[in-house]
Amino acid sequence: MPDRVPTPGNQPADEEELRPEDAMERAASGGIQAESALATAAALEGGPSEYQASLWKDAWRQLRKKPLFLIASSLLIVFILMALFPGLFTDQDPRACDLANSAGKPQEGHWFGFDIQGCDYFTRVVYGTRVSLIIGLLVIGVDVVIAIILGSIAGYYGGFWDGFIARIADIWFALPTVLGGIVFLNALGERGLLQVSFVLIFLQWPTLTRLMRSSVLSGKEMDYVQAARALGASDWRIMRSHILPNGIAPVIVYGTIAVGIIISAEAALSFLGVGLQLPAISWGLMISAAQNRILIHPHLLLFPALFLSILVLSFIILGDALRDALDPRLR
Amino acid sequence: MGRFIARRLLQAIPVFFGATFIVFTMVYAIPGDPIRALNGERPISASAQQALRDRYNLDDTLLVQYGKYVGGIFRGDFGETFRGRPVAEILKEKFPVTARLALGAFIFEVILGLIAGILAGLRRGSFLDNLVLVSTTVVVAIPVFVLGFVAQLVFGLQLRLLPIAGIQHGWVSYVLPSMVLGSLALVYIARLTRTSLVENLRSDYIRTAEAKGLSRPRVVGRHALRNSLIPVVTYMGVDFGTLMGGAIITEGIFNIPGIGREVFLAIQSQEGAVVVGVVTAGILIFILMNMIVDVLYAVLDPRIRLA
Amino acid sequence: MARRSQGPALLESQMPYSGHVLELRDVAVEFNADYGDVHAVNGVSYTLDRGESLGILGESGSGKTVSALAIMGLIQEPGRITSGEILYKGIDLLKLSARERRSVRGAEIAMVFQDALSALNPVFSVGDQIAEMFRVHRGMSRREAMSEAIKLMERVRIPSARERVHDYPHQFSGGMRQRVMIAMGIALEPDVLIADEPTTALDVTVQAQIMELLKEIQEETRMGLILVTHDLGVVAEVADRVCVMYAGRIVEKGDVTDIYGRPAHPYTERLMHSIPRVERKGERLDPIKGAPPSLLHIPSGCAFHPRCPRARFPVCSDEEPPLREVASERLSACHFAEELLAE
Repeated sequence: MPDRVPTPGNQPADEEELRPEDAMERAASGGIQAESALATAAALEGGPSEYQASLWKDAWRQLRKKPLFLIASSLLIVFILMALFPGLFTDQDPRACDLANSAGKPQEGHWFGFDIQGCDYFTRVVYGTRVSLIIGLLVIGVDVVIAIILGSIAGYYGGFWDGFIARIADIWFALPTVLGGIVFLNALGERGLLQVSFVLIFLQWPTLTRLMRSSVLSGKEMDYVQAARALGASDWRIMRSHILPNGIAPVIVYGTIAVGIIISAEAALSFLGVGLQLPAISWGLMISAAQNRILIHPHLLLFPALFLSILVLSFIILGDALRDALDPRLR
Repeated sequence: MGRFIARRLLQAIPVFFGATFIVFTMVYAIPGDPIRALNGERPISASAQQALRDRYNLDDTLLVQYGKYVGGIFRGDFGETFRGRPVAEILKEKFPVTARLALGAFIFEVILGLIAGILAGLRRGSFLDNLVLVSTTVVVAIPVFVLGFVAQLVFGLQLRLLPIAGIQHGWVSYVLPSMVLGSLALVYIARLTRTSLVENLRSDYIRTAEAKGLSRPRVVGRHALRNSLIPVVTYMGVDFGTLMGGAIITEGIFNIPGIGREVFLAIQSQEGAVVVGVVTAGILIFILMNMIVDVLYAVLDPRIRLA
Repeated sequence: MARRSQGPALLESQMPYSGHVLELRDVAVEFNADYGDVHAVNGVSYTLDRGESLGILGESGSGKTVSALAIMGLIQEPGRITSGEILYKGIDLLKLSARERRSVRGAEIAMVFQDALSALNPVFSVGDQIAEMFRVHRGMSRREAMSEAIKLMERVRIPSARERVHDYPHQFSGGMRQRVMIAMGIALEPDVLIADEPTTALDVTVQAQIMELLKEIQEETRMGLILVTHDLGVVAEVADRVCVMYAGRIVEKGDVTDIYGRPAHPYTERLMHSIPRVERKGERLDPIKGAPPSLLHIPSGCAFHPRCPRARFPVCSDEEPPLREVASERLSACHFAEELLAE
């Protein structure tokens, strides 16, 4: 058994190969070398090491017990079902409208009443879920991928790439979301799902990228990364197994909350008239249509607003719960 | 300190050009037909089209176009309405109203946000703290425009407390819209202050302050608060952008005749030039505000001055 | 520093005091956490006289810092002092009101912490932070307080004090920052100064300078110095007497040369033995086997028995050895202390 515990930058000079068990034993016997020894052992095991895989497992265990998380995720599952299979919730056609029922009040069989065209409001509100969820998840999904790629490059390699990406992100930050959305969407002729999503992706990418970059930066400095490097692990392996699993946590947390923000932003843009256009079914559009009649027909405003708020709220609560579960300091 | 300011100014320049370039390309270069961006779906005669092309240099090469666009900005030319009224003039005329609204929102969100955040932070885990946490979460989830309508319904119509449209009632007219506009920022400020305070109260230098025999009000009020407010100040810079977007919605809903409502109406009447012009001006102000906030940050946190 | 202390009226009447300037009697501190009760300090007693340096020696988790915080009255929820008395010039500090306690803190009994970078407020200048002592406790004006601060900075040998008084903590080196902390500590000429690991975060050469400074100040002001540390070398340099702590209890107490030369407790003995020594070069290092116990579950009987090479069962695991006099002026908490001494 080698006499000295290998510390970063100090390869085991002895002939005997260091086995993970040796490193573990040394770690167990206490002393200042413990941390590096444990790190070395972890690095030797390779793959998402015990050290980090437990962060997500622990988080899941914690989350399962929290009531808020359970409520929020149940609500989200309901919403997702609504978006995927609206038929489960309503058997009516959102476009089957009869002007005779214009702005009818909530009643038997039509819980949310009718909108101005005489369409069943409940059905329309349920169908509206689809567009909001698609845009929210699509935008953040793409932005997270962009963030991981660019953020890792910027954070890990530093230097020129970091400067370059950081500068571009800085420029983007000068464009406030709603303002940018207004001016860009206004300029585009067609304003369908893809266009709106594209503009929002375009506007939100720097925030998540910056977040990823800073967590990669701090992950890079960790002892276990130094240990892995000393043992000859390639950049790719280090990123994949050591930095990414931990570094992704803040991005996931913020991303979850950001889905809510995007859904809210899309509704705002549609409300203003620069987002989705009729005949698309969007809560923002419904609210816009309702705005001049809220005195006489408050239900026109109330129901889409309620669904919108609850959906956004669910994402925010979920994000908060994730953050508490992933924050080691709050254990 | 002076060097820091100079450096920040220098950094703002590429940001200015970059941001305006992005706006420019997105509006004039990428979409198929920039005439639509300026004119919307309105029918337009060939000569009017050509006039637009000349006015906005649409026949020039991209770079030249951009050059003239930026040159125009420096000259204060932010485009014109369909009837030929310079956007810059509209800005100057409507600005005071929006400024009053923004100021009202700012006062509301800062005072209430700080108080809520400080109380919650000091009494962590208490009923008050949880109340603040829950109410802020709920408010954040409700979009500004929904909040605006609900406020109109509840305060204006049902309770008949406050005016809900126009500014004919003097400063009272601004109360409800300011509160709605500031609601989102209020939430962020309260939360930021709370978290920041809780964290700072746990730090070593607070223990040192107590070991020095300082009274609790002094330890919290002078030592902890000063450090805790730093992230809040930086947030205000970011918030300014959201405030501008929110102003468009709020002024639209409450019918406040400010710049925001001009944009709101311009969208509806498809006055593309006005939208672009006002937003460009808004971006410029945003860049400026962020710079000011950065300088303020350096004033508050001496460690930044060397960065 | 010419100004004579104007202590609170409470203690004024006690001047001059002939007994121990500080005395702890059977102090116990407990932390009630969700996962259990942590007994950080279990029945600790010691005394401190004017002009004396007392070393509190122990590893992390021995309770040494907590006992110091207890003296200062800085134990907060979920911790509390569950028993004992802390007598400062004969007055039990634990019986004072919060306000009275606060007037004592900083002015009569002061504490200096380790890692001055995090212990100093980063947004105020060092002059400001030192001057604060004078403005709060003595009611001085800003200008007067600042000039006192400059004098103090010169006293602790910070070069160019006048120019640097408006600088911020992050602009100083580690050693200079520690001097600032010391300046804050001695500002009001306290009668007791507690230094918690004052040199741990510093380079070795700087360590020596800081310790020398402390010693010099102590000799000049005749204040009592409590040195809380795990560094055997530091204690050897500065302390007159030593208390060795383990698992929240004092296991040995006595004169520093005696203890270092002939330890009367197996733990102290093992500590001395674990230090690498030049004359033993080439031998294996000999650390103490095992790890210090978690304060949630202190072993029964003698807390050290699981790691003690001399442990004899069942007496060591069943009976907690009392801290008793085993030789002249030497106390040890070991059933077999005399045997150890005789070797």
